Formats: sequence, C-alpha cells, structure tokens
Amino acid sequence: MSRARIPYKVITAIQGGVFILLCLIVLLPMLTPTTARAQTQTQTQTQTQTNESERAIPVPNPSADLWREVRQREGIVAGRSQVAGVDSGTLINPYGETWRNFRMQQLIPYSGYLLAGVLLLLTLFYFIRGKIKVNAGLGDKKLFRYSLYERTIHWFIASVFLFLALTGLILLYGRPLLIPLMGQEGFSLLASASKEGHNLFGPVFAVALLLIFIRFVRRNIYQKGDLTWLLKGGGIIGKGHVPSNFFNMGEKSMFWLLALVGVVIVGSGLVLVFPVFGQARITMELAHVSHAVTTVLMIAVILGHIYIGSVGMEGALDGMTTGYCDLNWAREHHAQWAERCEQEGEVVSESEVSSLRGEAAGGPAVPNGMQESGR
Amino acid sequence: MIGQLIDGPLWYFSLAVFGVGMLYRLYSILRAGVKPDLATPRAGGGAGALRNLFSRFAPRRDVATRGRLTLIAGYLFHLGLFALLFFAQPHVDFLAERITGFGWPALPYWAFIISAELALVGLLLLWLHRLLHPVTRLLSSVDDHIGTGLVFLVMLSGCLALAQAFEPLRLLHLFLAELLLIYFPFSSLMHTFTFVFSRGYTGAMMGRKGVNA
Amino acid sequence: MSHDFAKGVAALESQIDSRIAAYFSSCVHCGLCAEACLFYTETQDPRYTPIYKLEPMRRLWKEQHTFWGKFAIKLGLSKPLSEQDFADWEELVYDSCTLCGRCSMVCPVGNDITYMIRKEREGFAAAGYTPPGLQEATHRALTIGSPMGVTLKTLQAALRHVERNTGLKIPMDRQGADYMALFSSMEVVNFPEYIESVARIFDAARLSWTISSQAFEATNSGIQIGSREAAREIVGRVVDAAESLGVKYVISPECGHAYTAIRWEGPNLIGRPYKFEIIHILELLDQLQQEGRLKLSGLTETPLTFHDPCQIVRRGGVIEPPRDLLGKVASGFVEMADHGEMNWCCGGGGGVSANERAEGLRLKVFDRKRKQLEALGVKTLVTACANCRIVLEEGIEDRDMDVAVIGLTELVAEHLATTPATASDGSGAES
Repeated sequence: MSRARIPYKVITAIQGGVFILLCLIVLLPMLTPTTARAQTQTQTQTQTQTNESERAIPVPNPSADLWREVRQREGIVAGRSQVAGVDSGTLINPYGETWRNFRMQQLIPYSGYLLAGVLLLLTLFYFIRGKIKVNAGLGDKKLFRYSLYERTIHWFIASVFLFLALTGLILLYGRPLLIPLMGQEGFSLLASASKEGHNLFGPVFAVALLLIFIRFVRRNIYQKGDLTWLLKGGGIIGKGHVPSNFFNMGEKSMFWLLALVGVVIVGSGLVLVFPVFGQARITMELAHVSHAVTTVLMIAVILGHIYIGSVGMEGALDGMTTGYCDLNWAREHHAQWAERCEQEGEVVSESEVSSLRGEAAGGPAVPNGMQESGR
Repeated sequence: MIGQLIDGPLWYFSLAVFGVGMLYRLYSILRAGVKPDLATPRAGGGAGALRNLFSRFAPRRDVATRGRLTLIAGYLFHLGLFALLFFAQPHVDFLAERITGFGWPALPYWAFIISAELALVGLLLLWLHRLLHPVTRLLSSVDDHIGTGLVFLVMLSGCLALAQAFEPLRLLHLFLAELLLIYFPFSSLMHTFTFVFSRGYTGAMMGRKGVNA
Repeated sequence: MSHDFAKGVAALESQIDSRIAAYFSSCVHCGLCAEACLFYTETQDPRYTPIYKLEPMRRLWKEQHTFWGKFAIKLGLSKPLSEQDFADWEELVYDSCTLCGRCSMVCPVGNDITYMIRKEREGFAAAGYTPPGLQEATHRALTIGSPMGVTLKTLQAALRHVERNTGLKIPMDRQGADYMALFSSMEVVNFPEYIESVARIFDAARLSWTISSQAFEATNSGIQIGSREAAREIVGRVVDAAESLGVKYVISPECGHAYTAIRWEGPNLIGRPYKFEIIHILELLDQLQQEGRLKLSGLTETPLTFHDPCQIVRRGGVIEPPRDLLGKVASGFVEMADHGEMNWCCGGGGGVSANERAEGLRLKVFDRKRKQLEALGVKTLVTACANCRIVLEEGIEDRDMDVAVIGLTELVAEHLATTPATASDGSGAES
C-alpha cells in the first residue's frame, strides 16, 4: 500500500523556494540608493543652511562651549552619577551618531549591493554555464557519503541559518524596503517578531555551528593536491574536472571561512543579545558592526553554496538528502575519494540503496536479506 | 473583529472540540474491551502496570545507543514543551484567567527562554530525523507531519510574540494553538493521553508474567 | 491453501481490543522499535521495522475506530484494506518476526508490538495468507499430533532407548502421579538426551511423574500460525490428558513457545483456568534444588554463557531459575551484554524455523547472535529450548564458528550427585 510521505522532491522544492525568497529579499536593497541619496541630499542642505546662519551672526553663542562639552566631540568624558549602571556617567555618546551614520549610509546600501551582486552573478553564471552535468550521466551505482547524523545536523544548521538570515535581513533592510511596502505599524510588528525570533534562535546557531565543526573538521584539513584544484579554478570554469578528496579545496575553504566568520558572528551576537555583562554602548556598536559585516559575508558565501547544491550542479544534493551520491558524480568531482571507496568495495547498487531506504515499500520483503551471508 | 473571534468564540469552540474529542477517543479505546486473563499470574497486574508507567521514561540500552538521536531530541522536546506549556509566566497567567481560576509559581524568564529553545531544537531535530531516517520516512504519514508542523508553528509564533507588546502576534499564537487543539483528538498527538493506557496494559501483562517491562 | 479475504478481515477485526486500540492510538512512528529488532539491525531494511509489520491491522483499525479513517474512506481519500495487502505483508508478518518481544520492551509509549503481531496473524491465518511450511506443520499437529509428525510409536521407541541407556523405567499413563511431563517433537527426534536427563533427575529427586500416551506433545503450531481454533484443539488435548490422569502439575519442556502456549495462552484458549498447575522444567529443577531434593556435585570450569529463549524468559518470566542452576553447576558462567529480558533472539522463534521460505533471512539475522558470542569470546553456549538449540547449531555451522551448544537440563543431569553424601560439594558453591 502506498503511504503519503514528504518526498525529497518536496524538500528540494522547499529549498528552491527558500532560495528564491532569499534572492528576493536580497535583491530589494537595489531600491535603497534612491532613498539613501535623498537623505544625504537633505542633510547637505541643512549643513549649508547652518553655515549661512553662522556667518550671519558674528557673535559666538555663549553656551557653545557648554554644548561642545556636552556633545563631547573630543571623545568620551565620563562624569559621575548617582545612577548605578553601565554608561550612566556618560551624558552623550558621540560615537552613537557615527555608528548610526555608518549603518544608514554605508552598511545598508553597500551590503545590499554586495548581496544583490552575488545573486546577479549567480544568475548570470547559471545562464552562461548552465547546470553542471555529470559527464558520464547518472548511473545506477552509489556511494555512501553522509551519515544520518551528518545530514541531520546539516539540515538543522541550515534551517536555523535561513531563519536567522531572514529575520536579520528584515531588521537590516526593514526601514528602506519594508516600511514603504507595509507601513510603519505593520513593520513594527514584523520587526518585533523578527527581533524576538532572531534573539531566541541565535544561541541555537552557536550550538549547531559547534556540532558541524566537530563533525566535519577532520575531512576539511587541507591536503596535498588542494592547491592544484585551486589553480585550475575548481573545474567550474573550464570543462575538465579536477580530482579532489572527500571535500575539495573550495569546500574546505568555505568550511574554514564559515568556522572563523561563524565565531565572530556568534561572539558578536552573544554580546548583543546578552547586554548584562557590563558591556558599554560603544562595545555594542562595535559588536553590531562586526555582526553585520560578517553575516553579510556569510550570507553571500552561503548563497553560492545553495546555488551549487540546488540548481547549479547535477547530483550534488543527493548525498545530503539520501545519504548516497552517484558514483559517476563522485568520480568527476571527488575522484580521489571515489577511487578509494571503489578500491574498498564500498560501491552499492541503486536497488540496494532503495531497499535500505525502504522505497520499495510494502511488497514482498527481502531481496537483500535473502543473500546467504553478510559482510 | 477577527481578534475578538479568536479570543472568544473560537477559543471556546476549540477547547470544546479538544475536550469532547479526547474523551470520545478514550471512550472508544475502552469500548473495545479486554478479555480477562485466565492464566494464573505470578504477580499482580496492577503493580506491573504502575511500574511500567514510570519505567518507560528511562530508555533501554538499544534505544540509548542506536536510537541516541531520537532519544536526546525526544527528551529535549518533551521536557522543554512541558516546562514551557505549564510554567511560562504568560501561560500561567492565561491558564489561571481562562481555566483554573488560580495561578501557580512560574519559571523565571531565563528558564522560560531556555526551555523554549530546548523544545524548538528538539522538535526540529525530531522532524529532520523523521524526514531523513529510512525507518521513520517509511512509517510517517501525513498526520505525523501535520501534527509536528502545527506544534512547531505554535511554538515558533509563541517565540515571535515574546515581546508581549503586539496584540496581533499574541492572537496569531493563540489562533495556531486553537488549530492545534482542534486537530489534536483526530491525530497521533493523542499519545499524550493514551500512552498511559498502552504502558498500563503492557505493564499489567508483563507484571502478571513476572517480567519487569 | 485457499484465500478468503472477507474471513481474514472479520478475524482481524475481532482481534482489535482495547489494548490494540490504545497501542495504535499511542504510536507516534518514532521508529525506535526497529533498533530492537534483529531483522532490522542485521539487514538495515526499514520494512522490517516491527510496527511497520502491523500496517494491515493499523489500516483496519483506522477505518473502523477513528473519525478520520471513516471520513477518508467515505470521501475516497484512502483505500480500504485490500487482499493485496495481505499478500504483500505475509512475508513481513511471518518470515521476519519471531514474536521474540524485544520491540515491546523498548517502545517509549509502551506498546506491546509482539502481542499485536500475534493477533494480526489470526487475521492472516483466517485469510489463508500463511507460509506453506507453517501450514503443513499445523496440519500435522492437528492430524498426527505433532508438527514434525512424531507419533506415539516414535516416542515409545525413543523411550525404550532411554530406558536402555539409564536402566530406569519410564512411567507411562500412571494415574494419580504428581507431575505429567510434556516434550517437544524436536526433543524426541533430535535431542533424546533431554528425555534421558529428565528421567535421571526425576529419579534422583524421587519425583512422582508420568508421561501421557494421549498428550505428550507440548509444542503448539496454532499459536505460531495464528489460528485460535488449532491452538485451542492442541492445548485441549493436554488439558484433557492431565485432568483425566489427575496430576497436580504439568511440566512444560525446555521448548520456549510451548511454554507460552500452555502456560499463558492455554487457559484463555479453552476459556477456563486449569485444574492443575503448569511448571516449566527449569522452574521445577530450581525448586527441587532449593528444596534439597536435587543434589548436585562438581562445577564445570569451561567458560560458558546462556542464551535466553525469548518465550521462556522475556515472554514467560522464567528469568532467575536458569541462572541459579548454572551457578550450581558451572564456575565459568558469564552473561552476554544483552541478556535476560533483553536477550537477542536466535532468529528461529515464532514459527520462523518451521518456515523453509525464511531460511536465508534467518541465517542472515543469526549474525546478531554471532556478534554477541564473538564479543564475549566464549566457546560453550548453554540454552534451554530445543528450537533455539537447533537454530543456533545451524547458524554456527553456517558461519563456521567454533561454539558448542548444550541444553541446560542435560548439563544439570551431568552434575547429579551419584550418592547423597557428595551432595554437599555442590551446594557448598552456592553464591
């Protein structure tokens, strides 16, 4: 009897959907230049106005010195206060304005250009290069690639990452992109939800990252031959394929980039989400800047990762969904690993895989079990 | 308008469906009947049933080794959800106001957050396991995915409403919880209650045979 | 055998009691039962997941006992149970389940999956979807009196042999004896040394016992194939014989499922309690030994381990007696990692060993026992079930292993104190 199940096709479709959604969100910053430019224009106007008024009144404002002191243009001067608490001695934090300006005028537009650019590049690449096919075609021989645990933690970190990326991007681009679309009230609601969700799942990402690191670090240590792979451009550019081990140079580099960037992301995120350890506003501002810069970088890299895993390459996703990859795919993309597996007799047939995965549901049991002896 | 509906009539409707449906399911189990066991027992069935009811909370070796992932994720989810559902301040207030009429000590905010995180992590892992493991893939029906999905959405919407500053977010959470209550008696979520029967029946039988199940 | 789908559905329907309804209601498809089943762990084929073997019954339960099920059938959203399902599931229900009960021990919600499969087989047997090997065994049990075709003549020949070897008189049909002994065909044909051991031990303990010429067969193919009628008929013969001889106790032989059949299922099959008690041979030996009526001497020093027959231990509750007895006769007794109520099945219980079709699979899943034995490194395996013993021996031969299998009762008989004076040696080693 057939049973309703969620097949992998659906997972692929969901993944594709998420990819498109991410693309859309990331593409939206393309609209930012207009609003940002409008803001800078009004600011320059007000500046010229104040310059004129200064010229008009030659007598210096007697309280100018006082306000200069209050604004602390020369740096933070901490005073004394009865109020116990971090920063309670600082009347005004001058770097707050610097941070705000950085976020509004540099971070939002440039990160937007970056992410949009990556998407554009990937799209262009797809139209020029197309889906990278397995030259020998997909066969009926398989290799075991990722264990159940590995697949589980991969999709675990993937779902947590997508959620965090989505909520984070909403918070970053909300003002220029979403307020015009949904109004201030609607956005305030969405922003609150995103902020709470982002804060709650943030620490979970740290745990997931740790699990991924521990599990995959050994296979990601650089080896002889990795450099050749890099010099030949990973075979992505040309037609030929460059042999590599379980992970290739590109994958290894992504792993280490993510591990290092991930540490910064997690660290800065924890500084932001737990403001209870005596960190001052300036620390929070720096944490925010590094959090934003590193996450944008990570999202850009992951976009590439998702591209290759979904539409970019034939046979690349199978290992992470079913646990088994196509032998021909492995020969072309991870030749050294495939060769070793073949030597050790680890090749399994498609029928064996489908039996192990219970895909021939119902029906007479046993094609595999009837074999006289096991290994 | 919609808010009033969710907060009032729909809440009572879903509560009624949940209550009546659940009682009917339990009644339909009891109605099937059990024949008395005529074999001379070694020990009383009652003690065995009681023992099994609690002993099954601890895993056997097979489960603790080969089924480690399910075990850990299962504990995280169930314990987290239990703490969250009955001891989060907003829930205690809600239950006290709508159902019991009295409150009880709630968890501190940080413990509430941690239990929410544990429950979400556990459920996410269980769901992924359901989708990835050949055995659970083969066993799982649409019902399992709807049940898991609804519980997940209810917990997620609860997290999004954590600021407790926006009425629509609270209503979304409540609405999803109401859907869950309505779906509950028709699904395998019923194991929340029927596990007592299962463990009891098995424990009684094994107890009569003199085996510690 | 002819197929009768309607009869199968009716039989399956009648098996759904509160227990089964509670079990299906509780199952959340967590898949943990697979990890306890040797058919899954040794093949990794997910279809061998215990609860999956119950799909036909679950489907019927859903159709008849749940709102969605009835609703979906009416709307045509789900197909009702079909005859094809019986055909498709037959091998899962009979070839890949030994009713060993391990899955029932690990289920987090406490479902007794083995109980459900036992009940599901009632439906399959009524529908005629059963393995030919089991059909023939049941047919022989009903017509000849033994699944292996052992007749009274065969038994008498074996008993004459025993009498010659031991010099003892085997009491047949003795009215008013305390104990009536039963045997399994496997013991009569393959392991007459069991009968010999029993005779010598009972003589040494001065036990008042007898064998009935009307009912000496303990095994019950009816409970393996899942036919209540056949099972009742076979149990009824024993009950009639025991009650007409007026015995106080009936001794169940080592054989595992015979014990379950006569001890736990029997009274429910005939619909009334017995007028006598059932005692397993190991329980009896342990009791005699504790009462001092059975004097044992000397300890075997060979390292040995014990294979728990599922139906005697996990499904029968005779857990301590074999260990007590082993402690009295052996100094090198070690336990396997999973033992007692969590032992691993030999792979041939529940009618699987009588089902020729399942032989390849049975030998494959024997790997579980092989790994257990290899991990322990012990070369002598003691067990207390003729069926386990033959299955273990076949598996050991198939895997070219160097392990000897011996019966516990025989081991005890070997240590019978020749004179009452030397008995203190044996009882001195009590632990």
